[in-house]
Order: sequence, then C-alpha cells, then structure tokens
Amino acid sequence: MTVALLLLGYSAVLGGLGPLWLKRASWLDRAPRLGIWAWHALTATVIISVTLAGLAVAVPTVPVSGNLAAMLQECVMALRAQYAAPGGAAVAASGTVLAFALVARIGWCLAAALVRARRQRSEHAAVLDLAGRHRPDLGVTVLDHDRPAAYCLPGHGHRVVLTTAALTTLEPRALDAVIAHERAHIRQRHHLVLAYAEALERAFPRVPLFRTAASETRRLVELAADDEATARSDALTLASALVEMAGAGVPAASLAASGGHAAGRVRRLLAPQRPLKRAIAWGGALVAGAVLVLPLVVAVEPAVAASGMNACPLPTAPPVAAPQPAY
Amino acid sequence: MRGFGELEQAIMDVVWTSGEPVTVRAVLDQLNGDRPQPLAYNTVHTVTEILHRKGWLSRAKDGRAYRYTSTKSREEYAASLIDQVWESGADRTATLVRLFDEMDADEVAELRAALAARADGGR
Repeated sequence: MTVALLLLGYSAVLGGLGPLWLKRASWLDRAPRLGIWAWHALTATVIISVTLAGLAVAVPTVPVSGNLAAMLQECVMALRAQYAAPGGAAVAASGTVLAFALVARIGWCLAAALVRARRQRSEHAAVLDLAGRHRPDLGVTVLDHDRPAAYCLPGHGHRVVLTTAALTTLEPRALDAVIAHERAHIRQRHHLVLAYAEALERAFPRVPLFRTAASETRRLVELAADDEATARSDALTLASALVEMAGAGVPAASLAASGGHAAGRVRRLLAPQRPLKRAIAWGGALVAGAVLVLPLVVAVEPAVAASGMNACPLPTAPPVAAPQPAY
Repeated sequence: MRGFGELEQAIMDVVWTSGEPVTVRAVLDQLNGDRPQPLAYNTVHTVTEILHRKGWLSRAKDGRAYRYTSTKSREEYAASLIDQVWESGADRTATLVRLFDEMDADEVAELRAALAARADGGR
C-alpha cells in the first residue's frame, strides 16, 4: 500500500509540476531534441507510475527468494491475508482495473492513430503519384499550385512535396534549406513522436499534462528540424524562406487552427545561435531517463529489500534437488 | 505493380496535356513516340481501364472505341492535396508534417524588417 501511495504521489507531483517547469525552461529551445525526450519521459513516467500503483495495490509485496516453493507459499499467504482484510479485495480489484484500463486506453488510442495515419498517408500518396511531378534533381515531388507550400509525407515511401509557387518564390539556397528541414522531419521520425504525443492527448483530453506535452512536442519537432536544416545552410536563409512562404497570401481563417509557431521560429533563427553544450544536453537526457526509471525502482525495491531481511524462515533450506535425467 | 504506377502516370500526363477526349490508340501513339521499346496496345488499354475504374478518367463511346477524359484537372487534384495538408491541424499532424504555420500581416512585416536589418548588419 505504501508503494502504491508513493507512486501515486510521484506521478501527481511530476504530472502537476513537471509541465509547468518544462514549459518555462527556455533552454529547452536550445536543445529541442532533448526537449522532446524530456516531455516524452515525463508523460511515460506518469503513465508507468499510475499503472504500477494500481498493480502494487493488487499484488502484495512478497520477498524475492531463490526457493520457488517458499516464495509461492509466501505469495499465497500474503494474498490470503490481504483479501481476508475488510475491503482488501475491493481495493485490489480497483487497482487492477485502473492499471489495465489505463494501459488499454492508451494502447487503443495509439494503435488507432497509427492505423489511421497510415491509411491517410497511403491515400494521399496515391493521388500524389499521379497528380505530382517528380523532380529527380531536387529529389522532391512538385504539385501545380499557386500557394507556396512545402510538406513531407513521412513513413514508408516518404517524400518531400513542394508547390510550383514555392519553387518560383524561393531562391535556390532557401529551397535547399526548406528541403533539408523536411528531410529532417523524415529522418528523425517526427511522425511517430507526434503520433505518441497526440494519442495520449486524445486518450485523456482532460489531463493538462498530455495537452501541454502534445502542443510542446508539435513546437519542438519544428525547432529540431530547423536546427538540422541550419547545420548545412545558415539560419538567415531558412528564416527568410519561412517568412516568404508564410507571407504569401494565406487565408486568415486557418490561422486559429494551427499553433502559429512560425513567428517564434523565425525570431529564434534570427537571434544568435546558442546551442546547449553537449555535456549539458547529455546530462539532461540522463536526468530524464532517471525520472523514467524511478517508478520501476520504487515498485520493485520493497520486494528486493524484503528478500534481504526475510531469508530467515528457511535458513537451512536444503538446496533444490537437481532434476533427475529423464532417462 | 510499380511499373503499372509509372504507366498510369504517363497516361494521365497524356490525357491532361491533350486537353480533349482521347482514344487509347492516340494515347499509345503519344507514349510510343519517344520509347525505345514500344508498348503493346493491350497494356495501355488495360491500364486506361484501370484508371477509369479508379475514377481518374471518364469515357464516352465514339464509334467503335471509347474516348477518355480526365474527371479533374491536375491542378484540381493538387489543390485538394494542399487543402488536406492545410486542414491537418492538431488532429492530423502525424499524417503530414508541414513546414510552416501561418503568420499575420503585422508579423510578416516585422520579421521582414528584422531580416533586412540582419542582412545589412552582416555585411
């Protein structure tokens, strides 16, 4: 029971304070890939903690021991004791239901999102194959359209798509920067990153943590792709490409629908580039990893500790008999 | 199957550029114009019929043969794809990752000025 409370407390604190702190941490913009990892570690930790808390209520702590028979007996005794206690069975049952419902809901939403995205992509690609023109020199598909636009179709059979207007609007270097940005999305598999974040958001739309995580992930993948694109060209080229494309007559109605990160991205590209030091970024990644592993340690620790103290019942237990050969 | 895809593309190209209803024979002649290995009539006929079944081409009887036209122009298909990308807001980002968001006119003006200042300062 203590373990369950500990885990629930951990997830409540992390889920409540984590997003406030991460959202304010402006240094994450200097290492967007670390930022993506930090947000994902945070959401995963909360899910794992709550799931383990549910299971910890259902399964009493039993010392881990080398003697399987003794351990099984301990297990049965502990379970009997728990379920004999008033309300014990109800608590255990609700814990189990909570854990399974949580995992099932997230799994379902994630699978549905991946399947739907895959279908939409292949439908889109089928039309693109016939209506688009392949430009082998640029390695992109071109659509006849009078609005400058660029996007990528990620996943299997991935490709970068540009409109004819984008080809005429952008100068060659800017074009390279734009294509490099789209390639970065494909290479860093941002569609999967987004699918996970958005599946959580859809699974539990009321939880602020998941909402914030999804919107921050959408913003950070753009920054990560910008960083990879500017590693080849200069930031100013990409910044001006973004302004040219965004400024070329877009219906104002669609403004509200998107997050509207473009202006922020251009300002970031215009500001002096200060990428986070490698060591600090790795340190941050390790901290995020530790946050992720902690609930597992908390859940397993009592069993391990108990096995240390509780080896007394059968101190002189005979060694397990070696299995007899079958012949 | 990949080869069929390319042939579908080539046939649609011919139909779109001709601008008027075409027979399979006309498409074949057009395709074989610059091809070292000529395509068979039956191949082109089959793939044209596939395109008709998929809804890309419509056909009308003309004498003993059919004449095919595209149901939509290339630009209309392109527009429908771009619209899909634009619609894919929060809900469909995982499908298509598009490059940029929209900015309002004030922001564009402000950022253009900032860019110009940086470009001048850099020299």
